[in-house]
Amino acid sequence: MKETSVTIISTNINKHILDNYKDYHVVEQKFKIDELLNYKKVIFFNVLHYYDDEKIKEIFKTLEDNNIKYINFTNNIEEALYTSYLIIYDDKKILAEGVTDEVLKCEKLIKKVGLNLPFITELSLLLKDYDLVDKIYKDNASLKGALWK
Amino acid sequence: MEIRKLLNESGILGVISTYQSKLTKFKTLLDLNIPNVEKALKIVRLDESILNKKYEDLTISELWKIELITKLREKVIIVGNLSLALNNQDIEYMQKLFKKLNRDFHKQIIIIDNDVKVFFNLVKTIIVIRNHEIVYKTNDFYDDDLYKYTKMPKIIEFVKFVNQDKKRINKTTDIHELIKDIYRSVS
Repeated sequence: MKETSVTIISTNINKHILDNYKDYHVVEQKFKIDELLNYKKVIFFNVLHYYDDEKIKEIFKTLEDNNIKYINFTNNIEEALYTSYLIIYDDKKILAEGVTDEVLKCEKLIKKVGLNLPFITELSLLLKDYDLVDKIYKDNASLKGALWK
Repeated sequence: MEIRKLLNESGILGVISTYQSKLTKFKTLLDLNIPNVEKALKIVRLDESILNKKYEDLTISELWKIELITKLREKVIIVGNLSLALNNQDIEYMQKLFKKLNRDFHKQIIIIDNDVKVFFNLVKTIIVIRNHEIVYKTNDFYDDDLYKYTKMPKIIEFVKFVNQDKKRINKTTDIHELIKDIYRSVS
């Protein structure tokens, strides 16, 4: 995988998947950012739910500033918005992969594997159906600004 | 004692805390000798093919459902970490199952999770437990103090953000209600 920051969304995995990433340091418990700086490649395995948005952004920024490649395995679709590359994985195969914004357009596929879209994406899409907005928004401030001008 | 009282009052209780699975390692599900296992599998929406699957090959969500199977006969069912193990469809199904177990079979259910979204439309009371003590209790998903202990769900974050300078929309935990309210507000 050549991308430096990737989110892999799946609820149908077990740890065998990590056999494909033996050169990565795997993080499964709460951690301190400094501990990660000793590694070149890091995997977060269903662990970032412990942290709020700001902390996750800080973790990823620190890794990027230190040229550390990372993959975030999660079943929380909200975490997809933190990386620019997204893979939807289910039943031992990749169902979709690419630039996050593009993959999130595969609404039917995402719902077929039992997931929802990130809240702000889903809300934008529903508001678009009512002609209340004309695009997908990524944050509360811009969506609020578009609705209550 | 207080947990017992709250559980008697509400039947299903939401708990913000950490949860450690009680499921001990087994070779295959058959080794657990679960009575009426085929029926139990159906209840948690697992296929019978799972019976011969090795522990190591089970997925996170399968292990979660197996742990629930082992508890179905208990009067008080304690489950945890739904948000980590299950997808949205499974969570919605389990919410319905818990309501049914409580209503029709008088089971009391304690759900331990750090994601408040899991409790929407399911629990009336949420408690926060830290170091074995109840440190907070609320009946309001929009209670700011609750979010000193855990992350705020995105829908609540959005409604609070929109209303921070002026009340525009009502409190809700349902995205379709939210859409209707936004429509009323901006039209």
